Amino acid sequence: MAIHEKTLIDPDRLITSDSLVVDGVDVSGHWNTMILPRTLRDYDDGFESHLKQYSGAENVHRCWQCGSCTNSCTMYAQNTDFNPRYWIYLARLGLTEEILKDKEIIWQCVSCNKCTNICPKDVRPEGVMKALAHWIEAEGHGAKSNSTVFDEEFARQCLVRGRIEDSEVMSNFYKLSQQNIKEMALHGWLGIFVARMNKWNELRHGHVFRFLARTPIMHSLHMGWSMVFKPKTKSWGRTGEVLSQYIKEQKELAHG
Amino acid sequence: MTDTVLVVGAGPTGLSAAAGVASIGKKVILVEKEAVLGGAPIISGYAKLVPSGEWAKDAIGRMVKRVEDNPNITIHKSTRVTKVEGESGNFTVTLSNGQTAQVGSIILGTGFTHFDSINKPEWGFGTYEDVLTTTQMEQMVSAGKIACPSNGRVPERVAILLCVGSRDRQIGREWCSKICCTVSTNLAMEIKELSPTTEVFIYYMDIRTFGLYEDKFYWKSQEEFKTKFVKARIAEVTKSADGRLLVKGEDTLVKRPIVIPMDIVVHAVGMDPNEENPDIAKVFGIGLEKHGFIDRGEQYTSTFSSTRRGIYVGGSALGPEDIDTSISHGLAMAMRAVGEMNALVQKAA
Repeated sequence: MAIHEKTLIDPDRLITSDSLVVDGVDVSGHWNTMILPRTLRDYDDGFESHLKQYSGAENVHRCWQCGSCTNSCTMYAQNTDFNPRYWIYLARLGLTEEILKDKEIIWQCVSCNKCTNICPKDVRPEGVMKALAHWIEAEGHGAKSNSTVFDEEFARQCLVRGRIEDSEVMSNFYKLSQQNIKEMALHGWLGIFVARMNKWNELRHGHVFRFLARTPIMHSLHMGWSMVFKPKTKSWGRTGEVLSQYIKEQKELAHG
Repeated sequence: MTDTVLVVGAGPTGLSAAAGVASIGKKVILVEKEAVLGGAPIISGYAKLVPSGEWAKDAIGRMVKRVEDNPNITIHKSTRVTKVEGESGNFTVTLSNGQTAQVGSIILGTGFTHFDSINKPEWGFGTYEDVLTTTQMEQMVSAGKIACPSNGRVPERVAILLCVGSRDRQIGREWCSKICCTVSTNLAMEIKELSPTTEVFIYYMDIRTFGLYEDKFYWKSQEEFKTKFVKARIAEVTKSADGRLLVKGEDTLVKRPIVIPMDIVVHAVGMDPNEENPDIAKVFGIGLEKHGFIDRGEQYTSTFSSTRRGIYVGGSALGPEDIDTSISHGLAMAMRAVGEMNALVQKAA
């Protein structure tokens, strides 16, 4: 055990190998844990102005680090890792790697705007939080959340056909978000859901009509038909293309 | 009884005092150890002054001309005071050029000495060509071109280190030099104006741009000129293999060590007591305070008095001071010096 207090070290800086030879000496075993240095070696000088292209961050350069935003923050009261003052400092210097360490919590800003009201330099920290969250998402720094994956598939179908097919949305969503349908059906919630729809008991007791009325037979047939023929909304025409173009333009307008 | 006042030092304080005394009809002997008048702003080649934004040679130049053109002021350049005898109202002073004079009061505007960055060797001054002091950087601004002294390239980044020779018990400088924060933020703007592609970083412990300098200099340099303020006291300046400078320290807000490449590092040097203060104290028979600046006497009813009656002291001889305040000190001392002589005349009558 070379390093006693590993808890004090960021996990991503601890490097351990199964076997290691340094300068011809075999240091496999307890002695091969290495710690990467924590020194910051450069700033990204252009990041501040880059972030300003995202709406909300226009005044980020005004910050003088008084900490009023963090002190007044609703989220900071819940989680002291939620520190707007700190992220604004990192953004100004372009310490993006440090910002991305907190990418899982920056979006949690509830936009109560207490920071905006209290900020003596009119930095509008709430806007900066929004801009940072958008930057993380827009430039692919965060894994897409399941809800984003769902939204994208939903929107894609709308644009192509002017309507969605429930079964296609769901099956594509599971596929794209790498959820295993078979596994969910056999051992997960999907299996339980289907089992609860099971009306065999009605049939066993001779209630044929009750069974037919409560089993979604026609709906299943309709879904199957739609999946094969993929109908469009009436006179959809080029509407999807026009909408896609408009969305693209709006995004470019917002982020340059 | 004489109607002459001796003014020692022809910087902002002394020039203001001399003009003040002459303006109320008394005679002045102005003694300056350097060959030119104007004091630190002229001798060290300051660029634009805080807060007026006027070039030092223009603003201080007007003060010099006002004194030179006044027939009531006798100027001795490259001269020192070597001996002071007598008492208030009737001093006999001897100058290094051999002349003696009878004066009623003495005004000291003997100023300060810039901190010598050699005393902080870990910050690279004297070791690396691209490590400069604020006065050298001001000279570069005055010359109109921002470039690395080592090879003339335009710097991508300039770091200004605050509190070099101030607030540092290690080297016996326990005072704040008062004006370096404002001067540095002003310098950051001047650099950016001349070289828009250069990023300026100011490494600070606190920003002390007092009074109206807060928004006119600190906020303006941050908001309009995009100066970046980094809360870190630099531990060491070294050089990287590619010839750039490396500033090492701890970013206290990120709580991480930093080693950041820079092209020019500027020391915001503080104000030391005039290095000749021990001699000045001996010649004039006055005391020094614990840091080595000239000590004050009673201040509330005998304003700007030194510890010896009839000798007044103001400006940066008393401690770190800005130019505008020094000029006010000079005028206030003129009032005190002439007032004291008048009182003695009335008493004798």
